[in-house]
Amino acid sequence: MLPLSLLKTAQSHPMLVELKNGETYNGHLVSCDSWMNINLRDVICTSKDGDRFWRMPECYIRGSTIKYLRIPDEVIDMVKEDSQAKSRNRIEMSKNRNGSGNLPQNPNQRVGRGGARNNIGSRNNLGNRQLIQGSKNRK
Amino acid sequence: MSGLESYINHTVSIITADGRNFIGTLKGFDQTTNIIIDECHERVFSTTAGIEQIVLGLHIIRGDNIAVIGLIDEAIDSRLDLQNIRGEPLGPVVH
Repeated sequence: MLPLSLLKTAQSHPMLVELKNGETYNGHLVSCDSWMNINLRDVICTSKDGDRFWRMPECYIRGSTIKYLRIPDEVIDMVKEDSQAKSRNRIEMSKNRNGSGNLPQNPNQRVGRGGARNNIGSRNNLGNRQLIQGSKNRK
Repeated sequence: MSGLESYINHTVSIITADGRNFIGTLKGFDQTTNIIIDECHERVFSTTAGIEQIVLGLHIIRGDNIAVIGLIDEAIDSRLDLQNIRGEPLGPVVH
């Protein structure tokens, strides 16, 4: 299990984030990215020595400043469900790709590519007309 | 193959750059040594009292902050009498 998958699963859950400078941020995870940058909402920031507090409606924390994150215990079980659901989807998708379920049965029956062959002829006609006009102009 | 793969689902001891010691079950890691530690607790060493254990729960520790990850022999560890072990706390890593 990857740490960043666990973090992604923890979205909307409360968590405690300790930064390298010793400050801690308590809040609900709104979003995170592959650099561990995170958005928290309803945040309480605590100073390194734990004697000063700040409340803020939201904050953004750069991933590289984080020391560790403390996450509710039950989140680790939710990752398993997520990855199982994903692998189920992957199996379904590969079935659709290999099987002929959604594809036309007759290989000659074309769908959605190009148009009637006659169009080519008409394009040639148009080309000829432009050619004639061009030669007129030259005269 | 990273040496950490064989530690998955085993009890490990982590020493962080700030000198703290975390014990828990390694559940995952990535290429930057970010790790998932389940049932994590911190052991606080002191010269005047026994080792204090603080229960912390599920943690993601960022790789930047990790100095050492060691496999714990659970049989030996469970026989430790933490109340009667004294030791100076580690200092932070000096860069």
